[in-house]
Amino acid sequence: MSRGRFALLFLLLLLLVSAPLWAAAPGVYAITGGTLHTASGPDVPNGVVLIRDGLIEAAGANVAIPADAMVIEVHGAHVYPGLIDAQTSVGFPSPPVTARRRGPRLQQPAAESLPETSPAFLATRNVKLTEADLDARRVTGVLTIITAPSFGIFNGQSAVLNLGSEPAESRIVKTPAALQISFNPRPSWTFPDSLMGVIADIRQTMLDAQQYSAAHAIYEKNPAGNRRPETDESLAALAPVLSREVPVVFVADSELMIRRAQAIAREFNLRMIVSGARQGYRMADDLRTVPVLVSVKWPAPPARREDREDQPLRVIRDRQLEPTTPAALAKSGAQFALVSGPGKAGDFIPGIRKAIDNGLSADEALRAVTIAPARIFGVDRQLGSLDRGKIANVVISDKPIFAKEAKVTRVFVDGREVRLPASEKHAGESPASPIDGAWSLTVRMPQGEVAISATLHAEDGRLTGNFSSEKGSGDIRGGSFDGTNVEFTLSMRGQQETESGDWLFHGSLQDSKLFGTVSTNLGTFQFSGSKGR
Amino acid sequence: MRTANSEQRAASRRERHALASARPLAVGFAIAIAIAMSASAAQPVAAPVTVIRHATILTITKGTIPDGAVVIRGSKIDWVGPDASASLPAGARVIDATGKFVMPGIVDTHSHTAIEGGINEVSLPNTGMVRIADVLTNEDINVYRELAGGTTTALVLHGSANPIGGQSQIVKWKWGRPVSEWIVADAPRTIKFALGENPKSSNFRPPPGIPLQYPATRMGVEEVIRGAFVSARDYMAKWDEYNARKARGGNPIPPRKDLLMEEMADVLRGKVDVHAHCYREDEIMMLLNLGDEEGFKIRELQHVLEGYKVAKEIAAHGAGGGTFIDWWGFKAEAYDAIPYNVAMLVRAGVLTSVNSDSDELARRLNQDAAKAMKYGGLSEEEALKLCTINGARQLRLDHRIGSIEAGKDADLVIWTGHPLSTYSRVETTFIEGEVYFDRARDLANRQVLAQEKRDRLKKEAEEEAKSKPVKGANHETR
Repeated sequence: MSRGRFALLFLLLLLLVSAPLWAAAPGVYAITGGTLHTASGPDVPNGVVLIRDGLIEAAGANVAIPADAMVIEVHGAHVYPGLIDAQTSVGFPSPPVTARRRGPRLQQPAAESLPETSPAFLATRNVKLTEADLDARRVTGVLTIITAPSFGIFNGQSAVLNLGSEPAESRIVKTPAALQISFNPRPSWTFPDSLMGVIADIRQTMLDAQQYSAAHAIYEKNPAGNRRPETDESLAALAPVLSREVPVVFVADSELMIRRAQAIAREFNLRMIVSGARQGYRMADDLRTVPVLVSVKWPAPPARREDREDQPLRVIRDRQLEPTTPAALAKSGAQFALVSGPGKAGDFIPGIRKAIDNGLSADEALRAVTIAPARIFGVDRQLGSLDRGKIANVVISDKPIFAKEAKVTRVFVDGREVRLPASEKHAGESPASPIDGAWSLTVRMPQGEVAISATLHAEDGRLTGNFSSEKGSGDIRGGSFDGTNVEFTLSMRGQQETESGDWLFHGSLQDSKLFGTVSTNLGTFQFSGSKGR
Repeated sequence: MRTANSEQRAASRRERHALASARPLAVGFAIAIAIAMSASAAQPVAAPVTVIRHATILTITKGTIPDGAVVIRGSKIDWVGPDASASLPAGARVIDATGKFVMPGIVDTHSHTAIEGGINEVSLPNTGMVRIADVLTNEDINVYRELAGGTTTALVLHGSANPIGGQSQIVKWKWGRPVSEWIVADAPRTIKFALGENPKSSNFRPPPGIPLQYPATRMGVEEVIRGAFVSARDYMAKWDEYNARKARGGNPIPPRKDLLMEEMADVLRGKVDVHAHCYREDEIMMLLNLGDEEGFKIRELQHVLEGYKVAKEIAAHGAGGGTFIDWWGFKAEAYDAIPYNVAMLVRAGVLTSVNSDSDELARRLNQDAAKAMKYGGLSEEEALKLCTINGARQLRLDHRIGSIEAGKDADLVIWTGHPLSTYSRVETTFIEGEVYFDRARDLANRQVLAQEKRDRLKKEAEEEAKSKPVKGANHETR
């Protein structure tokens, strides 16, 4: 009864001031006339989703619309449960440029501010979501993320967060979602600085956690005659992981890395989830017993034809077959979700589309970003489908959501409508940065000039792209661009060994030209750059 | 010989090969071809019985058989002898090797091939807890190239950046198979030690801003190794005490299980073979004496370029020597190296092998073995042993590999001529009865793979053209 009165008051308010509608408390909404893609059953044409107090009260064809509901007529549109992106590092800084052993020492102001992660590191305590982060996801239909830092080996405990406009605490759906582990070596001369060191470190840490739990259990029973074991926050945090209560997400893209992760999980009887898994197509049958989060950041070919022809067949073949991984997993019956992983918000839906182009059905794709990730992380009673009792995360799209020209028009998070950014530019893509585009760089070295052609793209302060020159080609690494100052690293493979190694560029953009210095094994040199080839 | 720098160079070479990003097209093709061989080798030509006939068979341990035959049954050598007395089982695959030579697969006791993510864990003086087995990769093209040079078994070692490096791994180069199948399951555990310039960081230093790492002298190297065993004994005592208390019915808290200390303790228990990188006579003697003092044996002195100066002492300790023939002077500690080292070690009774420390040399260890005939006058048979049975003995696998004898693994190489001649090349390489390299098959595959590459690039270009016209068309109409 009081609910009805509240709704009345709400409607009254709504009549009086329509602008602050977005910030209002969750109300009663009936979304009518659209095609419901429930993710748990067949599509319902001309269906109704009834939202009350943040939850789905009903969803289906014959739903009576209560008098207190605000009716949202979306005839011809498509209604979805909020999409879940189950592998992101949203809200955490980018990983540092890793200093290569033989390369020059890299100045990393960003790295110094990175928090030290550990098994005890909680994503919920450290995540910093900006409105831009949230908007970039919401416009793609992603209303729930799972996030943890991508740096460190033990990345910490990830969390399931709803992307509403509420205070941070009310966004948390589940914490911890999982413990996340990445095979990231530390900078040279710091243990562990090799892959085998990383694996040894993970193994020793797990052994220590076993010993820690055992020691404390024995001490609790027999405090007399035993020295008191030390308290260690990190090792204590691993106890629910060793008891399989909390799963472990291993970030592993290649078949070899996945198999290494599987070996560790077997050794310590961990409940594992594989994330990345781009080479999953090679081992789809072996992944039937492991939940998989497939990153849809598919590799792109180099821009120049000559660079493509220089690549070995293995690389080309892999690049073309990786997008078949979701279809292969669907066929083998593996439990899998599609995630953006290291990709940008705006790459998520196009990446899913590429998986669909490579044999995944649209229905399977939808489940892989709704109910499947909800099940993998144990939140399928709250999220993942348009079903009664679940959290009212609802997306309205003018066309089927994976269609190329589809546009998300309205979204509800926890039963509240969240206003989407008006500008087209925010539709998952950042505005073009002045540094975006093709560049010709010239490095002046004593033995002559070195010409490098590069394609650069800046977004949220990060600089990405690729390069080619007579001394090598590949992706640029560790790039940053703040509007003026630019920094990035190219891995060179010169004919002479001394020319090989990392070249670290520091420069600034002035009047569409780049100027600065390059640190190499041979010394530091000047470079300049202009737009175009 | 390998300095950390050269090891990294090799690693970067490998990377470069793997990516072939800035190399001529031909290299890219060759790599692609070899990689695709892996796909076809995924189902190696399996034959229950294969008979190689009319070959000159270099058995290594039982002399040479002119016009001989080898019968391979499954993964093993079933029979070897004169062709005239061979019995041909029905349904056997027969290879006519008239005019050709058959020898056992080459054993390389010093390899850094097929390691992913760095061959050195540089960060600490003792990284005996890291394992090469964790990071083997079956995508290193050098494996296939080594098969093309007749190499079938390798000891894959950690680098020499620190006095105690890491747990090494004995593998067979089963190209195209999962790495789990490469590991020789009954092979002994091994660990890499390193003496001299590399572990004292003479040849590679941390970047500015990171302090130099202990040790900086040969004294320090010795102390790190001795210290490891002193700590290991403490560690063992702690566990002994715990076990004793437990046996008495107490409820003691178990000590920490330390992977590094476990490994050091197993060296003391004789469960892990030590392979030690060394050059100078003084450091060789230091390690032999340290082993006697601490109670462990050195299985194989690696490089051991000044071994000829202390050959008798090495033989007395029972250590083997794995070395190069004619690489010297490449750094201060290699100035006293001589090509006669191998022959002098052999004559002094040291179990000696030639090994590679190099993805490139690993493709022609037969030639290094041949040089021992020129430098020091080893016999043909003695020379052949350097790259086969002697390495097998150093790896304690001579019951399985290193010679052609009934009952041993069918790791065999068919050569176009005598393998000690530079004019000979490998025709076919078998591991455990399966073909992992075949020259004719390789040549045929090149066309197929080159075509696949063309097709794939074409498809990619077409798809791009299809997805771009929206933007392109707009530009054109403007």
